[in-house]
Amino acid sequence: MKKTLYTQIEGGKGFWALLAGFGVVILAGLASMYYMEHNGHWVTGMNNSVVWGTPHVFAIFLIVAASGALNVASIGSVFGKKMYKPLAPLSGILAVALLVGGLAVLVLDLGRPDRLIVAMTNYNFKSIFAWNIILYTGFMAIVAIYLWMMLEKRFNKYSTSVGTFAFVWRLLLTTGTGSIFGFLVAREAYDAALMAPMFVVMSFSFGLAIFMLVLFASYRMTGRPLGDYVVRRLKNLLGVFVAGVLYFVLVYHLANLYATEHHGVESFILTSGGIYTMLFWVGQILLGSLVPLAILYNPATGNSRGWISIASVLVIFGGLSQLYVLLIGGQAYPMKTFPGYEVTSSFGDGMIASYSPTLPEVLLGISGFAIALVAVTIAVRHLRALPASLADGETDPHAA
Amino acid sequence: MRISKLLQMVPAALALTLSAPALAGDGAGPEVPKAIKGEECVEPTSDMRRNHMEYLKHHRDEALREGIRTKQYSLKQCLECHVAPEGDPQAPQDSSEHFCMACHEYAGVTIDCFQCHATQPKETASFHPLVTPGMKAIKDQAGRSGELLNQFAESHASKTRTGAIQ
Amino acid sequence: MSEDTNLKRREFIGNGAKLAAGLTIAPGVVVYGLSEASVPDRPAEEPASSERRWGMLVDSNKCATGCDKCVTACGEENGWDDSEPNSSPEQKAQWIRKVELRHKGTGKSHSLPMMCQHCENPPCVDVCPTNASMKRADGIVLVDRHRCIGCRYCMMACPYKARSFIHETLTDQEPHMPRGKGTVESCTMCVHRVDEGREPACVEECPEQAILFGDLNDPDSAIAQALTRYDSTAVREDLGLNPGVRYRGI
Repeated sequence: MKKTLYTQIEGGKGFWALLAGFGVVILAGLASMYYMEHNGHWVTGMNNSVVWGTPHVFAIFLIVAASGALNVASIGSVFGKKMYKPLAPLSGILAVALLVGGLAVLVLDLGRPDRLIVAMTNYNFKSIFAWNIILYTGFMAIVAIYLWMMLEKRFNKYSTSVGTFAFVWRLLLTTGTGSIFGFLVAREAYDAALMAPMFVVMSFSFGLAIFMLVLFASYRMTGRPLGDYVVRRLKNLLGVFVAGVLYFVLVYHLANLYATEHHGVESFILTSGGIYTMLFWVGQILLGSLVPLAILYNPATGNSRGWISIASVLVIFGGLSQLYVLLIGGQAYPMKTFPGYEVTSSFGDGMIASYSPTLPEVLLGISGFAIALVAVTIAVRHLRALPASLADGETDPHAA
Repeated sequence: MRISKLLQMVPAALALTLSAPALAGDGAGPEVPKAIKGEECVEPTSDMRRNHMEYLKHHRDEALREGIRTKQYSLKQCLECHVAPEGDPQAPQDSSEHFCMACHEYAGVTIDCFQCHATQPKETASFHPLVTPGMKAIKDQAGRSGELLNQFAESHASKTRTGAIQ
Repeated sequence: MSEDTNLKRREFIGNGAKLAAGLTIAPGVVVYGLSEASVPDRPAEEPASSERRWGMLVDSNKCATGCDKCVTACGEENGWDDSEPNSSPEQKAQWIRKVELRHKGTGKSHSLPMMCQHCENPPCVDVCPTNASMKRADGIVLVDRHRCIGCRYCMMACPYKARSFIHETLTDQEPHMPRGKGTVESCTMCVHRVDEGREPACVEECPEQAILFGDLNDPDSAIAQALTRYDSTAVREDLGLNPGVRYRGI
């Protein structure tokens, strides 16, 4: 294996066009945010029953994917897989960028984003949110140092130890994100410690899917060679992760189905929940898991980059569906305040809560992706982070 | 806390620089409405001008988080003296006639107090139960109200016991 | 009880002479409104103390289906009735609501008011990142809206659905009850009244006197006495939150 040569991308028309395109989406997101904050959240689909809506689905997806995007680097640094090493800088950059995108969406959907300084200066150390503020900022700092160690030749020798630390940190981070839901006793769909490991596996899958799309796109757009060896290894890994998520989803639902007390929420999600049932079976299970698995492992499609890209897009779609079902479906299903009773009130007790996303919420959510991708584009323009070639001869230890 | 304080000083400092000519004494200060009640504020005027925000902030945390209900530095109490209630002929018609806002707008210092706090006192404030003579008379009987209360609780209880319950 | 039971406190307050008459004609009314428990004798400069724990006992046997006087009283007192013209019914704040229950097996029905349960171990306080959700020393759970960033995590965590988010700009707030857009709010147990030695509005306005308010820590208080004498339950007792609001008859 040769020494990897990293180069910046060109700053030509394509670069600016890309930035302009993402910029438009970001502007749309900011306009949405201004609209929502100026009027108040009554212009959104949220209400007092479904308090976290579409922006949260996107934000949590991006945050979960962020830690997963770092996996590629971890496999190289921590587990010593040589093929992944040249991919590590892009992996680190993408991880930070996705986290920034996700946090931006989360913050811009607050009731009082102008008081963010309050969140920085008053900590309740028992709040998982407060832990997460530390975990997120720490993640950015650690990955930044990790990138520095990788990109600066003199420091390369430290990249394994810093990378290991970053890997442990990212596991904690996703545990923290999963625990936002897992530790909520109030809601039946959440209250499960399983959430934390499930979110970790989800992060592997979502993060890798985004990483692959970014990798394919950047190599195609810059005309750099990307060999089949890298593509094949990555797509096989994606398949394993998708299957892993499926396994956790299965265990989660089996556990709930076994316990009579959870039959209500299960039948809501699995059979009678309308849009949530539909998104679960069609979005999350069929399009988001089974179809990608079929694409990735079928020799007819598994060797085609076009098909692999489609599979990655489907995994992202499935992930968003999964979070929509979990997050919004979990809130739409009424809380069991009085077990054994039929409950009615003027405040939606005992009723399935209604929620339909509005355009500004969706735009704000999508702008999170745009923020992340702008950050990546600018980073690879100014940092020597992308290997000049990922042709088989460069990456495959068995190639001649 | 440090950072937030520093950040809060930015608009204030900016406003000071911008309004420097006014402060230099060309006579074009803000037209701040006179208080509708009382002759003196809770502290000397110069002190209040400089430090009212500190007093208010200190009081707000104590009042809300600890339940200390002194009136000296309460925002509600500021308004009781400085702003006429709705319907009163002296009541401010727009922010330039409002004691707090007139000056803050002039100085260019944005505050978000009134996004939540009422901008005017309510007339009913004078009907405070602890100050009406009738209520005072009853409060004086508090000594025996405990006794009466137990009697009441007893009758209350026996009533429920015989009622259609459980 | 005489007809006077239904006299509204507000009328008493507005008319001292009538009030004095009320004392002689129907002592129960006055005593109920001004029990020792509701007059804390705490000087204004003294902070709330953990020696007290304010609580309520709601008797659902007395609570009538269709009656929502406590809800109206709370809304008027705290200004959340009709304060959000743009918000949908699902978006409007409700600090207290009437809940109708019907047992799925037996068909037995109950009616009761539901509001912040003022837990001893409140999940909303645990999850709040900025300490805006807080429990006062005397057990009253509040939102410090100076610190609330509107993240709504407390609303996710509350098992009683007691909290509301304000979806639009508010005007004409009550001077004693600041509330505003982008923050979360809930029943304050009428903390402004309790600190003045008055009972919460819902307690005062209930025509059936179904809500007993007082100091749970004072063994002589009517509420503590009633709690030792009768069966009562906390909603979702299984969660171990030890709410300050308890119910009879469910």
